[in-house]
Amino acid sequence: MTPLLDFFSDPILRPSTLGCMLMCFASALVGVVVFLRKRSLIGETLSHASFPGVVIGVFVSALLMPFSDELISLAILCGAFLFAFLGLKTLSFLENKARVKADSALCFVLASFFGLGILIASRLQQTYPLWYKQALSFLYGQAATMTNMHILLYGCFSLVILGFILYFYRYLEAVNFDPSFSETLGIQSKRLDEIMFFLIVLAIVIGIRSVGVVLMAGMLIGPAVTARPLTNRLSYHFALAGAFGVASGFLGNYLSVVIPNEDYSLPTGPMILMVSSLFCFLSLLLAPRSGLITRFLRMRQFSFRCSLENALKSLWKGERKVFSPLILWKLKQHKWIDPQGTLTPLGKATAENIIRLHRLWEVYLVDYMGQKVEKVHRTAEELEHLLSPELEKELTELLHNPRHDPHHQPIPPANLEAP
Amino acid sequence: MNILEVEQLTVNYEKTSVLWDINFVIPEGKIVGILGPNGAGKSTLLKALLGLVKPLNGTISFFGKPLSKVRKKIGYVPQRSSVDWDFPITAFDLVMMGRYGKLGLLKWASKEDREATRQALCQVEMLPFADRQIGQLSGGQQQRLFIARALVQDADVYLLDEPFAGIDMATEKTLVGLFETLRKKGKTLLIVHHNLASTENYFDWLILLNTCLIAAGPVSDVFNQQNIWRTYGRSSILLDEAAIKAKNKTSGLL
Repeated sequence: MTPLLDFFSDPILRPSTLGCMLMCFASALVGVVVFLRKRSLIGETLSHASFPGVVIGVFVSALLMPFSDELISLAILCGAFLFAFLGLKTLSFLENKARVKADSALCFVLASFFGLGILIASRLQQTYPLWYKQALSFLYGQAATMTNMHILLYGCFSLVILGFILYFYRYLEAVNFDPSFSETLGIQSKRLDEIMFFLIVLAIVIGIRSVGVVLMAGMLIGPAVTARPLTNRLSYHFALAGAFGVASGFLGNYLSVVIPNEDYSLPTGPMILMVSSLFCFLSLLLAPRSGLITRFLRMRQFSFRCSLENALKSLWKGERKVFSPLILWKLKQHKWIDPQGTLTPLGKATAENIIRLHRLWEVYLVDYMGQKVEKVHRTAEELEHLLSPELEKELTELLHNPRHDPHHQPIPPANLEAP
Repeated sequence: MNILEVEQLTVNYEKTSVLWDINFVIPEGKIVGILGPNGAGKSTLLKALLGLVKPLNGTISFFGKPLSKVRKKIGYVPQRSSVDWDFPITAFDLVMMGRYGKLGLLKWASKEDREATRQALCQVEMLPFADRQIGQLSGGQQQRLFIARALVQDADVYLLDEPFAGIDMATEKTLVGLFETLRKKGKTLLIVHHNLASTENYFDWLILLNTCLIAAGPVSDVFNQQNIWRTYGRSSILLDEAAIKAKNKTSGLL
């Protein structure tokens, strides 16, 4: 097992570790903007659109300067950037000038650019098999072969993106939320948008080296989706997405080194994506407000409270019922019944309060909403568990503190000591 | 003094209808209603005044100056439906946005900005909701935030696009009171509206619009059966058809 710190000190492990982390950080930050603008698919399209640039970059540099690895990667970056940018321009031309719907335009650009890349690569396969292989490695990424130069390059790009977001944070918030209002403030929203999309292209081009053309879109969107349910502030959204990006970059890289043995290897790019998707999945399940599991637990909790309060009501009415041990235990916990199972004064007051809410609501439905007397019981049965003390006060005032419900049952008076 | 002068304004705007040769002036301290049927160009008129839509022809001047010179004196309330309410910001942040025009880059919001934001929230009775995410609020509450955001702009002229659409009675009452207060302070409000029933109570000046300007002036002069019929009646069908034809022709579709 490789120690954790080795990933930051070992000369072979360090470049790919840091490279992946930086790249994931940058793409996570711009991903937030893409996600909030509901343009998530743009990452998918632009990363594929950059592929012909990668291929051309590989071959041109291989022909001109076959022995300089560094220059080759620079040429690839430039080529990729050029074509991704071309893809972006084609996209905006199709959407704005030719009036093609956004999803069709995205599909069209993705397929035609990517197809072109594959075509050029295949044409050159026979003549230069080695370079062909290198070009194809960009499809799924190749983190392991990164060098210190890559870190430097990625580090600079990440700093540029981070700097831009920090410097223009307020403007980005305004422009992405309400572009026309920002325009009336004198903010040049179109210019800001152009720069932002330029940075998005940059982040994608940086990213395809480690996670590849095919999976890049996931790295753009994953952290933003993960962070969204966890916060309601844009600044935290950026920060959390960045953190999740860095974490998945590191863990993906770490696991792809640690797990494999002599028999098989695991590629880094897909591993990063898997970690990022796992984060995303957990966030959607467990987020404090909207997580599926948290909501399920809250629903169970509420339905348990309803059963508990209904049990208390039955006791108050003197009905003979058998309650589950859990309900009995909880009733004792609340000190609503004593160990012998009879109502305590507190339990009696609580029960009367629930009955009061139930009957007040019935009066309200009949007197104010014009509902039929025989139909109001069921809604009141639900709302007796929901009405807050404030609403009870309002109801009492509105109905002039009635004494009887529509079924001529007495309404217990308001009890100030009741919880 | 006239706060706003519009001369020969013509707007060619894709998808929405066109504005043709609009001329009017607005004196200071009025609550002005902009009325007209759907697609009459009410919102387009506001957007043209704000420089969001480029007019084909005509001049617009606030306080006798072009828009670029007096931008900070003009507040804007867009239609509530024009933004995504799931956006991750709180009510407080949204209102604070009104200060961004005066805030330089990289400057933190000052104590003054925060105080102004708090006061505006208070004025629209939304202070208890300051930390809520905006999507958790009701339509009326969201509209109040938009108004508060315009209030912190501390403008002299306010342009409001359908502030009364889809809100509750209590909010409508609050807003009407607030507009009256603003008017007493000498501010001018231009409000896009479509409810004829409340027109006489809410406004003291009217612009009746249906692609062309039908009438503009004090409510007592302008708000009569004949003008309303000319604004909302079927007489403008020919004009609409001509507009569509012109649009198709100029964009090369016909």
